[in-house]
Amino acid sequence: MNDLSNIEKIKKDFEETLKKCKDVLHLESIKTEYLGRKGRLTRTLRSISALPAKQKAEVGKKANILKNEFTGKIKELSAKLAAAEVAGKKEETDVTLPGIRPDTGRLHPLTVTLSRINEIFISLGFNIAEGPEIETEFYNFESLNIPLDHPSRDAFDTFYIDGKYLLRSHTSNVQIHIMQNQKPPIQAIMPGRVFRPDAVDASHSFMFHQVEGLMVDRGIRFSDLKGVLELFCRSMFGKDIKMRLRPHFFPFTEPSAEVDISCIICGGNGCRVCKGNGWLEILGAGMVNPKVFEAVGYDPEEYTGFAFGMGVERIAMLLYGIEDIRFFFENDIRFLRQFI
Amino acid sequence: MKISYQWLKEYVDLDASPEELAAGLTMSGSEVEAINDAGSDKVMSLEITSNRPDCLNMLGLAREASAVFDRELKVPDVRPFEGVPAEKGQAVDCVIENTELCPKYTARVISDVKIKEAGEKIRKRLEALGLRPVNNAVDVTNFCLMELGQPLHAFDLDKLKGGKIIVREARKGEKIVTIDEEERELEPGMLVIADGERSVAIAGVMGGIDTEVTARTRNILLESAYFDPVSVRRTARKLGLSSDSSYRFERGVDKGMIKGASDRAAALIVEEAGGRVRGFYETGPLSAEENVIEFDTEKAGKILGVVLEKEWVKHIFQRLDMTVTDSEGSRMSVRVPTFREDLEKEIDLIEEAARIFGYDKIPATIPEISPVVERKVYARQVSEKLLEDLVALGLSEIVTYSLISEASSNRFPGLVKAPVTLSNPLSEEQKVMTPHLLDGMLKTISWNINRKNKDLRLFETGKVYSELGKGKGYGEVPALCIGLTGIARRNWMEGKRNESFYDLKGIIEDIFSGLRITPEFTSIHIDGIAPCAGIKIQGEEETIGFLGQATKEILNEYDIEQDVFLCQLKPGRIFERAVLENRYHTIPRFPFSIRDVSILCEESLRAGDISRIIAEEGEELIKSIDLVDIYKGKKIPKGKKSLTYSIQYGLDTRTLREEEIEALHSSVKDALAKNLGVTFR
Repeated sequence: MNDLSNIEKIKKDFEETLKKCKDVLHLESIKTEYLGRKGRLTRTLRSISALPAKQKAEVGKKANILKNEFTGKIKELSAKLAAAEVAGKKEETDVTLPGIRPDTGRLHPLTVTLSRINEIFISLGFNIAEGPEIETEFYNFESLNIPLDHPSRDAFDTFYIDGKYLLRSHTSNVQIHIMQNQKPPIQAIMPGRVFRPDAVDASHSFMFHQVEGLMVDRGIRFSDLKGVLELFCRSMFGKDIKMRLRPHFFPFTEPSAEVDISCIICGGNGCRVCKGNGWLEILGAGMVNPKVFEAVGYDPEEYTGFAFGMGVERIAMLLYGIEDIRFFFENDIRFLRQFI
Repeated sequence: MKISYQWLKEYVDLDASPEELAAGLTMSGSEVEAINDAGSDKVMSLEITSNRPDCLNMLGLAREASAVFDRELKVPDVRPFEGVPAEKGQAVDCVIENTELCPKYTARVISDVKIKEAGEKIRKRLEALGLRPVNNAVDVTNFCLMELGQPLHAFDLDKLKGGKIIVREARKGEKIVTIDEEERELEPGMLVIADGERSVAIAGVMGGIDTEVTARTRNILLESAYFDPVSVRRTARKLGLSSDSSYRFERGVDKGMIKGASDRAAALIVEEAGGRVRGFYETGPLSAEENVIEFDTEKAGKILGVVLEKEWVKHIFQRLDMTVTDSEGSRMSVRVPTFREDLEKEIDLIEEAARIFGYDKIPATIPEISPVVERKVYARQVSEKLLEDLVALGLSEIVTYSLISEASSNRFPGLVKAPVTLSNPLSEEQKVMTPHLLDGMLKTISWNINRKNKDLRLFETGKVYSELGKGKGYGEVPALCIGLTGIARRNWMEGKRNESFYDLKGIIEDIFSGLRITPEFTSIHIDGIAPCAGIKIQGEEETIGFLGQATKEILNEYDIEQDVFLCQLKPGRIFERAVLENRYHTIPRFPFSIRDVSILCEESLRAGDISRIIAEEGEELIKSIDLVDIYKGKKIPKGKKSLTYSIQYGLDTRTLREEEIEALHSSVKDALAKNLGVTFR
């Protein structure tokens, strides 16, 4: 074949093929077909040496021009196709479609609240202890200086199983177990479930949760109780919260106090939640009554200590603004999903 | 307890406004819950704690105010009232049969009274505190009760038969109509006041209607006594009858005020109703002893964490009617008045000093903490990890009641061995300490489905309870319950799929692996769960729980119409066996090779047998066995199934050669064919 017409044919074929090329992969194969090691144009260029001198110059020149032209066109088209591909992909991904979210669960708000309480006290050097829910008179009452048939029992209506066993009406029973089993120093909090025969309504439940705290050592003072509780209240409810202790009566502490914080809803100005007086009662506390130390065989002249107790539901209701205690036990998934 | 601001001011010179008084009382321990307008007066409602019966009257709270605001207390006139001797027919014979329940009884006769409306002052005082005026004699007794805290009772003397007062236990079946016109049946153990024939009052609780003072009454018998607090409390509770009297008697009235109150009332009755006081009868061994407590100001300061001035403390104690005798240094002897029986020990006086000093003035300090390494016991650490893992697997935590009905408890009879039953339940719905967590789970699922929350992955960690055997007490052990129902996963890319047995099993495998223990599953039978697999810790005998699908019969009980998969296990052993410490394992340096094998076998062949044979044949050269496909249908003969396993072969010390892998893979296939009779596709 005439070498010049062959070159013309290669050019024509290349241009037609290139017109049909729609993607980068095809372009690669075109590049190989014409410019590759065994490509049509490469072969033509290699065969030039065999031509007569007159033709050699002409064909060589044309072929080289063509090589540059092909290289340029391929490069140009390659850039175009790449751009088109990016643009095309953009259209395929609808960024407004919802993402595929992995399913995650949630901890119960009481667990979340309790963990927060636990972590604060752990940071203050307390450890966590637990005790039985099915308990005897001794641990729930007598050792805590709550005699039978005494008005101080009015606050502790109790479920009984039989003459000997009952469902604990507070977590204070764990104090006694701990003190019977170890010597001071003691620094523990005791979370747990408690039971009282209260008819269920928005603010009462026959089952709820408490956290008891106990610290016993030589030289523990009432002011230490105040310091620890103040740190707790501020860690739990915010650093600007105010705390006050009001004298109160608990059979197992002396002196005893009820602990209020400035209302977290209204900041202390008075609102529906704090019943207008600006304070919310959240804790009971006091110095361990020497009679309790005597019941567990500690020398009240040697050791002093403080104890406190709080309701987990009460704290959670205040923290999250939950108005009905029953929500905790209904476990509506729409409720549970709100707490992290 | 209600108090009137104006009335209180009769006993103490106060500059404080009602609001200031309320704040002062609240911050010293008598919490004022409300202040209400009552004409020109203010009435406050207080919560008086059970240790302070002395604050259940105007004088007691005036004393508190006198200490808080440092003002003089003005005690009402309770001087002994000199009567005239009794005349014939007006004498009374008082006998106490049970001096334990009634250690003191006093009576006095006031003759020739005119019963009418009481004077305005007394009526107004009573009305302010919410008491309805009756007549001058009754109103005086109520007035003295509110003023001094001593309950008094006025009988119509002429209606007492036999000229006798007998304080005795009620007889079996004895009845009395009390002044609220209710007939009450009495029983032994209840103390009554009787005349020669019948009981005329329930001691310390309420008088009888037959002997009450009416407009026709001419002669009065005025009772002032001390009744045993426990006895009054039991009686009042049994009868479901609480009165202003019983409330005070059960907390303990002032043993030193029994005669004083009678004197005060007698004087006021004469003032209001005329008549003459004739004699004073007193019987019973009770004497009012004053307790003496040694008090050390320095020690008090150390316990409170504050510096107290001895002179200040003395002054405050005197304001509270204590008698202080100075001792050496920081010490003093404190004689406690009879109305403060709550003050037994030094610590009680420390509280007195602290509450008047003001808790708010005590500083806040941080105690020295004792270093303890293990803040949480191991079981708690494992349990917290379990919770985190379950949440990460998409499960939400629930908390359900530990008390359920007997019927609910018995829905899974296989799980109820010796139930713990309350002797005084609030209702049938909350009678049994739950022996399993399945009822709470199914109730929760039902509750949610009824509210269109149909796709649920839930878990609960609680306790289950049982009796350990007669006389051996009761057991409570931790339990974990998981419930899955509805759609497992649904999105626009992959479509949707329902929860299955295998989703639940996968969750269990995953949490076990997170705790570095291996579970084993075997088919077992539990009523209400089918199919059901028992869960064991590898190498242990005892089943620690189960998983499976709730039967239709069970679901019907809870009105659930979709499949529910349940698991309950007792993680006690898991807490012991779990490994939380993480040791690093060398990453293999030589590549492993993967070979797939598709097995054609009987439909009944269990996958567990196949993987066991593979593992046994390849031993340590097999690094993993994954079931990647189960296929039935086209090209598979009926009654058969095809399982495709992806097996990873490898060696830790060098790369396995191609020939070695092929030989190994062939021997695995041979073993499967030989042991299980399977063929390959």
